[in-house]
Amino acid sequence: MRNKIIYGLGALAILLLARNIYLISNFPPERAQGMIFKIIFFHVPAAMTAMLGAAIALIASVLFLVTKNFKYDALAVAVTEVGLAFLAANLITGSIWGRVIWGIWWTWDARLTSALVCWLLYAGYLMLRRAIEEPTQRATFAAVFSIFAFLDVPIVIFSIKWWRTQHPQPVFWGGGSFPRDWSIVMLWNLIALLLLGTVMTLIRLRQEETQRELDSLRRMAHAL
Amino acid sequence: MHLLTQTLLIAQSAFDVEREMQRLQRNFQFLCYGLIVAWFILVVYVLMMVGRERKLKREIASLKAMLEDRQPK
Repeated sequence: MRNKIIYGLGALAILLLARNIYLISNFPPERAQGMIFKIIFFHVPAAMTAMLGAAIALIASVLFLVTKNFKYDALAVAVTEVGLAFLAANLITGSIWGRVIWGIWWTWDARLTSALVCWLLYAGYLMLRRAIEEPTQRATFAAVFSIFAFLDVPIVIFSIKWWRTQHPQPVFWGGGSFPRDWSIVMLWNLIALLLLGTVMTLIRLRQEETQRELDSLRRMAHAL
Repeated sequence: MHLLTQTLLIAQSAFDVEREMQRLQRNFQFLCYGLIVAWFILVVYVLMMVGRERKLKREIASLKAMLEDRQPK
């Protein structure tokens, strides 16, 4: 049943993405930036998916520390890993966009730097998990680290409001103007990427369950 | 004089059109690079997950077989 849900959601995400790509390719080039502006349809939803993943990881980590239930630890690691992939996609699309519009691949402004630090922190979280063998200790240390890493997320989001940055102000909720039909496609693309992220998280969660089963089998093998 | 001005204007317009076309082409190229790289990252991640799942299943199968062998009959 669970597998059917995963495959169903995956198929829905792919269909939505195909439809969105068709619609986006039919939009005219933006007046000032041309075709490259269309990268926004992936750059922004990828960032939103990654930030949502970080928020879910925070909640799951807090819940693990409170309840000591390992299903929250599994959820935290699953969403962190998926969020990291989306944040990498966001950073790279942003860098390519910057190369065309600013003439540079990278600049150490507050938004870009805090986003890179965020990526490094969550990569550190995954490395920390690999370094600790004992499951309870690993989950506890990782949960504390995840809560600490989340401190960077508001800095990433609000850096363009707090400081003067090379990165522009947000198109949404920041006074930018975006045609209504473009906004609708942007929203659909956000839904598609969120669905894709959900499917990846569910697969990753299933793997964590399998890993736990494997660990218990290993313990049994040692005991025999 | 008038003819010369018109010729220069046409030449300038042709140059502008050429430059604009080059800019659009470059824009399109970079858009393609961006989208290819973004999807490549996600596809690589999915492939890594598939590989991990296969490895886990293999390990579980071998451990179960080993445990069955060790069970006293």
